[in-house]
Formats: sequence, C-alpha cells, structure tokens
Amino acid sequence: MTTPVQQRRWRRVAAAAPLITAMTIALICAGCVRKRPPHPPGVLVVSQEQAASWVRNFNPLTTATAPRWPTLSGIYEPLFVFNSVKAAYVPWLGLAHEWRDGNRVLRITLRDGVLWSDGRPFTARDVALTFELLRRHPALDRRGVWGFVERVEAIAPLTVEFTFARIFVPGFDEIAAQQIVPEHIWAGIEDPVAFANENPVATGPFTEVRVFQNQIYELGRNPRYWQTGLPHLEALRCPAYPSNDRANLALVFDEIDWAGNFIPAIDRVFVGRNREHHGYWFPLTGSTIFLYANTTRVPFDDVRVRKALSLAIDRELLIDVALHRYSRPADPTGLSDAYSSWHDAEIAASGDWVRFDPERANQLLDQAGYARGPDGIRRLPDGHPWEFELQTVSGWSDWVRASQVITRGLAAIGVRATVRTYDFGAWFQRVQEGKFDLSLGWSFEGPTPYPFYRWLMSSAAVKPIGEVSMGNWHRYGSARADTALAAFEREADPERLRSLGDDLQRIFVEEAPAIPLYPNPSWAEYNTTRIAGFPTAANPFADPSPNKFDRGECLLVLTTLAPR
Amino acid sequence: MSDPRDNVRTGWSAWAWAIRRDRKASIGAALLLFFAALALIGPWFTGDPDALVGVPLQAPSAAHWLGTTAQGQDVFAQLVVGTRISLAIGFGVGLFVVLLGALVGVTAGYFGGKVDALLSLVFNVFLVIPGLPLAIVIAAYLPSGPLTLALVLVVTGWAWNARVLRAQTLAYRNRDFVSAAIVTGESSARIIVREILPAMSSLLLAQVIGSTIYAIGAQVGLEFLGLGDVSRVTWGTNLYWAQNDSALLTGAWWTFAPTGLAVALVGFALSLLNSGFDEITNPRLEMERAWRRELRRTGQVPGESTPVVRG
Amino acid sequence: MLYLLKRLGFYLIAAFAALTLNFFLPRLMPGDPATALFARFRGRLGPEALEALRETFGLTEGPLITQYFTYLAHVFRGDLGISIAYFPAPVSEVIGNGLVWTVFIAGSSLVLSFALGTLLGIAAAWWRRGWIDTWLPATFTLLGAFPYFWLAMVALYLLGFTLGWFPLGHAYGDDISPGWNATFIGDLFRHAALPIGTVVLGTMGGWLLSMRNTMIGVLGSDFVNLARAKGLSPARVVLRYAARNALLPSVTGFGMALGFVLGGSLLTEVVFSYPGQGYLFVQAVRNQDYPLMQGVFLVITLAVLAANWCVDLLYLWLDPRTRDTAS
Repeated sequence: MTTPVQQRRWRRVAAAAPLITAMTIALICAGCVRKRPPHPPGVLVVSQEQAASWVRNFNPLTTATAPRWPTLSGIYEPLFVFNSVKAAYVPWLGLAHEWRDGNRVLRITLRDGVLWSDGRPFTARDVALTFELLRRHPALDRRGVWGFVERVEAIAPLTVEFTFARIFVPGFDEIAAQQIVPEHIWAGIEDPVAFANENPVATGPFTEVRVFQNQIYELGRNPRYWQTGLPHLEALRCPAYPSNDRANLALVFDEIDWAGNFIPAIDRVFVGRNREHHGYWFPLTGSTIFLYANTTRVPFDDVRVRKALSLAIDRELLIDVALHRYSRPADPTGLSDAYSSWHDAEIAASGDWVRFDPERANQLLDQAGYARGPDGIRRLPDGHPWEFELQTVSGWSDWVRASQVITRGLAAIGVRATVRTYDFGAWFQRVQEGKFDLSLGWSFEGPTPYPFYRWLMSSAAVKPIGEVSMGNWHRYGSARADTALAAFEREADPERLRSLGDDLQRIFVEEAPAIPLYPNPSWAEYNTTRIAGFPTAANPFADPSPNKFDRGECLLVLTTLAPR
Repeated sequence: MSDPRDNVRTGWSAWAWAIRRDRKASIGAALLLFFAALALIGPWFTGDPDALVGVPLQAPSAAHWLGTTAQGQDVFAQLVVGTRISLAIGFGVGLFVVLLGALVGVTAGYFGGKVDALLSLVFNVFLVIPGLPLAIVIAAYLPSGPLTLALVLVVTGWAWNARVLRAQTLAYRNRDFVSAAIVTGESSARIIVREILPAMSSLLLAQVIGSTIYAIGAQVGLEFLGLGDVSRVTWGTNLYWAQNDSALLTGAWWTFAPTGLAVALVGFALSLLNSGFDEITNPRLEMERAWRRELRRTGQVPGESTPVVRG
Repeated sequence: MLYLLKRLGFYLIAAFAALTLNFFLPRLMPGDPATALFARFRGRLGPEALEALRETFGLTEGPLITQYFTYLAHVFRGDLGISIAYFPAPVSEVIGNGLVWTVFIAGSSLVLSFALGTLLGIAAAWWRRGWIDTWLPATFTLLGAFPYFWLAMVALYLLGFTLGWFPLGHAYGDDISPGWNATFIGDLFRHAALPIGTVVLGTMGGWLLSMRNTMIGVLGSDFVNLARAKGLSPARVVLRYAARNALLPSVTGFGMALGFVLGGSLLTEVVFSYPGQGYLFVQAVRNQDYPLMQGVFLVITLAVLAANWCVDLLYLWLDPRTRDTAS
C-alpha cells in the first residue's frame, strides 16, 4: 500500500501533466496577437483563384488547365483589350485593325517598340506563330478561331493578315482577345498543351517570378514593359486559399488588397469593418442567368407558355434570397450592363413578360387552353398533369435558392416543378444533350451581342437531342434571328451593326426563346490601405473584377493601381 | 429472450436493467428518447424547413428560436427536420453494419478453417484501409443522396463488427451449449441463429450503438464536405450550408452551433448508454459496485484507491 | 521475425487490395471525368476542343484487363497519372509536399492525444473516484462526440476570428520563408496549434477510457499486488508494472486509430485551410479531378499501412510474448 504522502506527491505530478501541456500551448501562442503581415510597399496581394496549393503553370494558351491567374491578366497580353464598362476596345499590342477584300481579310497593325521580357523585340512573327500553334493543337484553340480563319501571315514586321474562310466579322473579337506568346520560345516547345511554362517570357507588366511556393507566389514587375514608367506596383503576390470563405476571411483581415469573390452581407461583413479603406463595386456586367425551357418538349414549344412561366417568377424575391440584392431583375432583352451601348430601352419596354404578374400568367395559360385539373395542376394536351423537373447544380447555392423561388412561383400558376440538383458534370451533360425540362444556365458573353443571341436563338446552333451542344441547350431556332445574325456576321459598319443589334433584341423580346432571370454581378472587392486606384462606381474606368481576365481587362486595372 | 448462459446478464433484459440501474445509462436513454421524439413528431410542428421565412442571418429571437440562415430559413426548423434523416441513416446504417458484420464474423468464427482465413483476411484488409477517405472516393463517384451515403457507410464500417463478432463466436464455439447442439445434429444455420446469436444479443446491441455513433459522425462529415444531397435538410447539409454561406465571416454562429451540439448530444447519449451498460455487465466493475455498497452499509467511506478484486 | 514477415505479407495484400479497388471503382461508376473539365470554362470550350483534350488525358477505350496491368505498372513506377485540375502537373508532384503536412498534423495529434489520454487514463485508474476519474472521462466523451471539424470551426471562430490569438489558416505565415530556424518553427507550431489541438480534444477520450478500464483490471492482478507487496514505490508499480501491461490493448488500437485520425484530420485541414492532403483530396473531389483524388487515396492508404507496420514493431517490443511465439 502506498503512503498518503507518496500518493499526494504522485498525484501532483500527474495533475501537472495537463498543466504542462496547457502551458506549452500557451507558449506556442505567446505573441499570438494577430500581426498584419508586413507587406513591402507596392506589393499588390490578390486572391482570384482558390487552390489548396499552387502548381507552377504560366501557360497562356492551354485549355487543359487553368494557369495561374496572372498569366492572362498581367503576364501575357492580347492584341486589343476590351473594356466592358465602356464597351470599347483599347489598342494594346495591336494598334489598329482594318477589314479588306469585302471583309474577308483582317489586317492588324502592331505596336512598335514592344519588347519581350527577355529583351527581344515583339513582331508580327510572334502573332503568326501564336495562331499557328492554335491550328496545330486544337486543344489550344479555346475560342475556335480556326473555325473561320483560313490563313494567318506576317506580311510585314509589324503587320499581320488574317484571311478568313468565310466572311465573319465577329471573328475579330476572338482574334483580338488572343494572348500572344513569343515565337523564339514557343516555336521549340514540343507539346504546348502540357507545357507548364514555369518562367514566362512575355510582354505584360508582371513577368518575373520572384517566389514560388505551394502556399504563395510573387511576380515582380517587367523591367522592360512597353508602357514606360508602368506599372506603378512593384509586384503581385498571390496566397493560396482553399475556398472562397478562407479568402474572404483574409480579405476582411486586411491580408488581401484585391479579390473577386462573392461575400454575403458585404456592407456589414467587409465594408463595416473599415469604412475608410474597404470597398467594393459589383457592376452588373457578368453573364445573364436564364431559366431555360426545353423547346423540343411540349408545352415549352409554345411561346405563351414560356412567357407565362416568366411572369410567374418573383425576381425581386429571387434576388433577395439568392443574391443578397447584388443584382436586379433581368431586362426582357436579356442583355446585361456589359452591352449598355447596344441596349435599346424602347425595345426592352415593349416586352411585358419579364415581370412578376401571376394573374397575367394564369390568363395566358388559360387562353392557350391549358386548363387546370381538379387538383389545381394544369393539364397537357394529352391529359397528363404539368409536372416538371427544374435542374440545377448541386453546391451552387445561388442557383439552388433561385430554383426554389422559381418553383414556388410556378406552383401558383398550376405548374408543379421540383428542384433537382445534379453534380456539375452530370448537370452539364444533361443540358448539353438537351435532356431536361427546365434548367438554370448561364449565357454567353462577348464584346457584341452577337455571341449572346447566337447561342440563344440561332437555328445553326440547334443540335439534335442527345448530341452535345456548347450552347443553345434549350434548342431554339428562329428564322428571323438567323437572318439578322447572318447579316451581323458580314457587317463591319458600326451604325448598321447597331441597327442589327436592335433587330436581335426585338426578336428576342417577341419570341422569348429563354427566360432571363438576372444579370450576374462582376465581383470585385478592394482594400485601399496600401494600394490606390481601383475602379469604383465613381471612377468606372474599367471593370473592377480580377475575374475579368479573359479579354485582358485586368491589364487596365493593373497598370493603373499604385502604392499609396 | 435468451437463456442466462453466462454468469452475467445478457440480452435485452440486461439493457433494460442497465438503463434502470445506472444513472449514466438512464441519462443516455432519456436524451436518445428526446431526439427520437424530435425526429418523429418534430417536423409536423415546424413547417417547411426550406421556406424562406424572413430576413437572412437574423440572430436567435422569439420569432426564430435559433435565428435564420444566410438564405432566410428558420434554423430551428432545419435542425428539427434534419434530425429525422440523420437519425434514420445513423440507426439504419448502425443496424446494417452489425448485420453484415455478424454475417461475416459469425460465419468465419463458426466454420473456422479456410472460410475463417479468407473472411478474416477480407475484413482485416477493410479495417486497415482508412475508412473516411474510402468513403469519400466512393461517394464522389455515386449520385449523391441518402441511399448513397448509407451504402458508403456500410461498406466502410462493417469490418470492425465482423472482427469483434468473430472473436466472440470463437469463444462460444467451444461452449457446452453449442457443443450440445452440434451433437444433437442441428444444422449450422439453426445453431447460429438459435443458439449463438441470442447468446450474443447484448453484445450485438452494444455493437449497434457503437456503429450508430460511427454512422452519424461519418455521415455528418461526408455531408459537410458536400458529398451528400445538399438540397435535402439533414444535420450534415446544415453544416455544409453554414460553411458555404460563410458562417464564420458573417458571425452567424447560430447556423452551425446548434447542429453540432445536436450531433454531439446524440453521440454522447449513445456513449453513455454503452458505458453504463458496460458498468453493469462487466463483472469486475459490478463487483466493485457491490463492494462499495457493502462499505456504505457498514458505515465506511469508500477509499479512493482501487480495491483489489480478483478477476 | 516470422510474426513481422506475416504482418508484412498482410500489408502487401492490403495494399494490393487498395490498388485494385482504386482501379475498378471509377470504372464501375457512372460519369466521365473529362466533362468535369468544362467546369472551369463555363462553356467557353467547344466539343471539338474537348475531344482533343480527352486524348491528351489518355481517356481512351481499351480492354479493361490491359488497362489494369498498365495501371499497376505505372503505380510501381510511382506514376499516378496526371491531375486534371493541375494539368499538366503529374499527380505525384501535386501530392508531393502535401503528405508532409498531413503526416505532421495527423501524426502529432495522434501521438499527443495518445500520450495525454493514456497518462490521464492511468491517473484516473489510480485515483478511482477521484476528481480526474469523475470528471475527465465524461468531459472527454462529450467532446469526442462532437465532429472534429465542428470543434475546429468553433475553435477557429472563437480563438482565431473573434479573439485573434491564432492564425486563420495555412501552415506558416505568408511572409516567412521555410527553413530550419526558430522563427519558422515557431510559426509552424503557432499555425498547427489549433488543428492539432482540436483533433487531440476530440480523440483523447477514447484513449483515456480504454487505458483507465484496462488499468483497473491490471491493477487488480496478482503481479501488481506482488510488486506492491515488495514495497516498490507507487510510481514504479504504476508505470513499470501496471501501465506497461495495460498499454497493450491501446497499442493495438493505435494502429486502428491511425486511419481514423487521418480521416478526421482531413476534415480539420479543410476547416483550417491547412495545405495537407485533406484539402487537396476534398478539392479533387469537388473538381472531379479523379486521378488526383485516387492518387491521394492511394497515398493515404499506403501511409496508413506503413504506419501500422511500425505499430507492429512497437508491439513486438512491448509484448515479449509475440517474440516468443514468433521464434
């Protein structure tokens, strides 16, 4: 037996064990008061991509993976940058373009005096090689340029000529947006699809990889940048955050200067923490979100039905619930604010079916002869009740919530719709193959309304059910739209293009091929503690979002920002 | 139910006894009963958990006892309605896992030889492959939904039960009552079903409880990762949405705290039940209990150090 | 020796089973990884470009059995395929340094929770009905009933977000470059404190209870009584005699717990955006990056198998009986 003294001593030792642990933990967190990471002046910390860890890839051409964000927004540059807020092209590596030979030949004059970051001059041969690579490797041809181009030639050191296979003026938008790579590097790359391009040689403002770790990387400024004196910033720094949520926390705690994330209740959560320096601007220049009704299926082939469905949707509630009021109800033309220069208010006003009016919706359906059954559900011509599945992507909370609002609205007009969520892959396959009744979906963007309306109502874009289609999932073809779109393809004159754009809007408003819900905001949050010059509603010089890199728009912001 | 073949109480009666006698077990049973009632009748009173009832992210108030989610749904309604599917999956999987484990384990233990070697290899392999990652991989390939979850949890959870039940069967295999049955020429299936399984009933029940704890925890974890059907209201998806809607950032602790607490309480209740039962049926702990009763009866204070009890 | 060889053989079989499972699972399931690629292009990619990509990824038809042997050959060369999300980086490269972090988190939380739990279990058994025995088992059972990731969320919310004592994520500060110096290591621990702490809190109860219960039994056995009768100091009796024997079941459980703690730490990593396998794994699942997902699964499984083998070695050292039967 143990003596009490021994027991007590032993107990003290054991009791000390957790105490020691606690002290160790306390020690570890000694000095744990969160210190703001000491950013060197002039370093812009951006969070655009979410990743568990960074993989070094700066390949601007590949479609097989997403290269690191700066690749398309600050390292490589396109021929022309499209400013979607001003709806205008900004000459960049290209200075001017000219249509020749009845709009069959596009000649682009390049900027003189541009150097690659290794000191070699930028010439027309670089442009020709870039497009040649796209031809040789279809997996690189993200914009489908070789669907309409026949030949690309460097006809002078600073002149490139694109000969088209057919007249296709909107093709300029695709050519203008292509990021150009240096011939002297890329001509020797065996497999440009899988090339990781770890040390980029480019024309953009940030080209020098200073640090690359799996948790963070840093790109220094290009000492030979062609815009002399620019950029004002020393470097870009990108920390890896695994999710939006984590990135948002970092943003709130002043660790990030620029981000393009969805943040709930942003006024309280972000701006409220530092009214002086925390800001955001969400212009409605994103892609418009639609409710697509499969027009190959009864009753959605009936325009009155599509309009009635649209009238049953309470878009104000939808925006409240799904989008924290960051957007507004869509316009009958479906056009977002990115097309403000094309948008015709008069035509929009003539569309009376994109508002919340269940009474009118019921009238429309009654007139069309879809009577309600005894259970209050409307009947199809063959006597079946109207019961449909509304497809959406699981995990996309805004869409899931929006779908719930929509089905509530439809129930009020005698349509029983159930929300069905699919994994992205499964959902995407179903919509592409046209295997759905109703589905939410995005629309297509471009500098002109041409791609937008083409994918909404061109007969040429209608593929049979079961065949994969990139767009026009609802399978709607309009003869009138076909004529207008064909004319659009051949026209280079801005005035006549505008009137064709009006025609397209008019056709859309009359035929209601799909049901517009709301334009997506372009997400952009900024912190002006260390960096100044972000685009704001008061100073809308460009789209403020780091997500708008596809047509080089981020370059406008990155060359304007400056340390405070 | 079963003959008192062991010197300890076995079977259902032992459980009933444990719940009545042991304070831990009675607390556990009461908690469990509460949640079962919540799952069964709660949803009738709370209404549609998906309904948008008010301004998003309201803190708890009289109108919304646990506040509202980032989408303006009632957190309390979601908690109550979520209880049903979560508990159903939990208990269903717990039961199935033990059934499968018993099938494999008892077969292996009873027949021995090559059958045993093969089956043991199979469940030992399953035991050593980490369960949650395997569950994630399988769930990632299957269409999401409660059935998928249940399937995944059964596939990854049965092996442990098989191992325990095999060992127990081995122990019974040489007992008199089994030998006697074999001598009288009863079929193996009959011996297993009529003799061995009833003798193990209390162990089986303990296994079901343990497996249910596992199933609820793993299910919530998988759903939290978004591998469940996120359009259905369950505890796991509630947590998924809380995380997805930046509960941390918006300071909306009420969107994740109550659900986690509910998960923990159910798990705690089940553990209490099991350990209370253990105290009753474990001969050593039971003898100590008797010893302390004796001390108290004779007016002595039980010492703090362990009494020496011969096992 | 025979014992160890037997165990090794078993782990080889288990590894083979995992490999086979890994190969057949995706092929038995519906779905097509290449469609997942569209996710990042939101429809900007045409079907023709997709077809070209499919070839790039080697997602072509062929007899299953040929594919299987090609797969095995690749795995043995350490080639786990190419990640879809991180194309063209090979899966092995993407996984590369992630495993270190996971092993660090899972390993140190397992060891810490085992050590603390066992010590407290010994204490609880020694002072039966003392305050340790009355309060700790119940408290830790309750804590253990919470999902780890939920504890992690609460800890992050309270200690990280609200009080600001701990960093909100990552394995080390963004402004610190890795190296073997005090600053870096201190930072490392600061970042690991919450992830490890929450896993330890969640898992300690199991060790505590199992140690306590076995200890109670062992303390009543003859050889311990003999040791006491010989007048050995209590510390010696408890640690050298009783605890060493009571430890055996716990050590067996240790191997089993490995897989379990690893699973839990995967979730914890997600909450703390810790750059380990867990995060990568979940992201691979969300991106439907099947090659990466399977690679991670395989690596985790093999790591667990290897760790189990080490536990067997430990067991051999602790329990002389295994040595005897083996020789």
